Amino acid sequence: MKKLLVLMLVVILVSSVFAKITFWTTEVESNRMQRIRALATIFKAQTGIEVEVVPVEENDLLKQIPIAKNAGTLPDLLEGGIEPMLLLGSENFLDEDLATKIIMDFGDVYDGAARMLSNGEGKYYGIPFHAWVQGIWYRKDMFASQDLGDPITWYNIALAAKVLNDPAKGVYGIILPKKADAYAEQVFTEVALANGARPIDEMGNITFNTPEMIEAFRFYKELGKYSKPGFTTVLDALKGYLNGEAAMIFYSTYIMDDIAVEEVQKGRINKFNPELVKNTGFANKMINIRPTSYGQVVALGITKNANKEEVEKFVKFLMTDKNYVYWVHMAPGGMNPTRKSVAESDAFLDNPVLERYGKAKIAEIVAALDSVERFEFLNGKVITDMSKLSANFVIGKAINYMFANDWTPQQTAMWAQKEAEKILGK
Amino acid sequence: MSLKEKEAKFGWKLVLPTVILISLLILYPVIYNIYLSFFEVSISDAPNKFVGLGNYREILTDASFWKSFGITILFTFTTVVGSILLGLGVALLMNREFPGRNIVRALLLLPYVTPLIAIVFAWKYIFLPIDGPLMQFLAIFGMNPGNDFVNNPNNAFWVVSVFNIWRNFPFVYLMILSRLQSINSDYYEAAEIDGASDWQKFVHITLPELYFVIASVALLRGIWNFYKFDEVYLMSKFANTLPVYIYEKAFSGIPEQGVAAAIATILFVIMISLIGLYVKKVLKW
Repeated sequence: MKKLLVLMLVVILVSSVFAKITFWTTEVESNRMQRIRALATIFKAQTGIEVEVVPVEENDLLKQIPIAKNAGTLPDLLEGGIEPMLLLGSENFLDEDLATKIIMDFGDVYDGAARMLSNGEGKYYGIPFHAWVQGIWYRKDMFASQDLGDPITWYNIALAAKVLNDPAKGVYGIILPKKADAYAEQVFTEVALANGARPIDEMGNITFNTPEMIEAFRFYKELGKYSKPGFTTVLDALKGYLNGEAAMIFYSTYIMDDIAVEEVQKGRINKFNPELVKNTGFANKMINIRPTSYGQVVALGITKNANKEEVEKFVKFLMTDKNYVYWVHMAPGGMNPTRKSVAESDAFLDNPVLERYGKAKIAEIVAALDSVERFEFLNGKVITDMSKLSANFVIGKAINYMFANDWTPQQTAMWAQKEAEKILGK
Repeated sequence: MSLKEKEAKFGWKLVLPTVILISLLILYPVIYNIYLSFFEVSISDAPNKFVGLGNYREILTDASFWKSFGITILFTFTTVVGSILLGLGVALLMNREFPGRNIVRALLLLPYVTPLIAIVFAWKYIFLPIDGPLMQFLAIFGMNPGNDFVNNPNNAFWVVSVFNIWRNFPFVYLMILSRLQSINSDYYEAAEIDGASDWQKFVHITLPELYFVIASVALLRGIWNFYKFDEVYLMSKFANTLPVYIYEKAFSGIPEQGVAAAIATILFVIMISLIGLYVKKVLKW
């Protein structure tokens, strides 16, 4: 009996010394998980605080939150894009005070990145952690052989897609997202904003039925004609480009290591094209009636029920010096630090992929974050309703149906309008 | 205390653990679900708000609920009839003697015993447009290899139905086969002496003998498929059956868990009454 008591006492003591936090990450790929687990191990060795790392698919993040809430297994910290963070923040899930304090403590977080997480009242829903920019990646060699201009304007993009599309030879003008997921919305956002179209205006009105929006759907459908058949997704686009199947794809800067590093490319398609880095161009903006660029900030959100002290330590651990560089180097080019001091440091640029693209190019990408546009932000205002439309994949579904049912751009826009009205109860 | 009373008491003691377990694992969630259906469930720290029959009113007037309901009934009907017909056919074939029968019988069980997720990925790969083996094969006969059967939202219903029939027919086949093997061969011999054809033997001997097995299997498969979530969701999120609809309501976008609970309650009531009717009329208990 005495032994048992002693044992129980030891167990209680040990478990109270080693506090524990749960961290949900959307970096679900095994090599990224390995790095994150390594960081968690180092953190535990330094502080005695255990971090349980849970991978969650990006498209499933919002679905997992209420399940976890009911099961009492909400994480202390979660990593995710702006849309889920704004939604969770507006639903009162996130600790805005602590997030704001950490941003202030750092003192060198890019304004543009932080602004995307603003709650509109001087505080931030989450801490901007890393960021990427999206654009069209294209085969410069194919473009040069047909004397085509850079795919920056709508006209150039459509022309190149048409001219370079040669299905008989297994080459497509473009691989376009057609499935109802987050990727379709990301690509369509850039297309729509280049035409001045937005789903929700400043007053909160739903504006899928405007001429600009219908025009954006028309352009998207036109590109679909010269795209690889099937309801293609982000992975189809990546593999297709690396395989030489596509002249253009929409992708984020995450593709940089897939293009440049033999090991990474072989992991995707089982072979390596050493010429691809040289032959690849990047269009970091799109213009029709106005220029726009698209990017994403991935943030860390601290939940209300978190172990505050431990989480703060862990966030600061992740976003400082060596640890931070180690994290963002898991996807060189794709993940860019949101702290100025780290983004400009030699340690960050000391990487085989980043070196190849050069300091100036990297600086250009990171700087673009101050000018990227999103449907959620308009004239300094946050439109939280947009997150609800994203969570229900309204744009993705509209695109999916447009191709599946051969809807006209008008029909597609009307469907999206009605669906959005239903979801927002307007 | 008389011996009978003592025995009764002992009997209760024996079943008590089961009763407690069932209450905890089944009755409590059912009752809690019914309780939740009267509330607007908050997903943050705010307390739940009582809305009375509001959730029920919202669902019963929601066109997309009735659409999902119709699709679910059609899905259940199609898959139950389909898997029974396929299972019956295969069972009749497997009831005959032929070389290698044991191996074929074992292979037939594969769809049912292979992990679901492995099968789903295999199907998706086979149907991949342009690159998928099936599409490349069909292209030889002039079909457009660019067709994307699995991911086309219009095909979702047929894809999940065919998939479900294919995955679950081995269960039906097993049940029917075991009954087939216990039919007394005297019946067939007597029928043969009377000059009955194969078809007449099937209709007048085999089918009546199989009646209760088929009826029970139909009931089980009906219940399972009415609530089928995993197979449907993994194959296509856009098949729009009710379990998927409940899941979307409860866990996606802004979750409406009170509404989802009300849908589950309505389904529960419908299911209980349908089962009662079926058991009385078809199984004749």
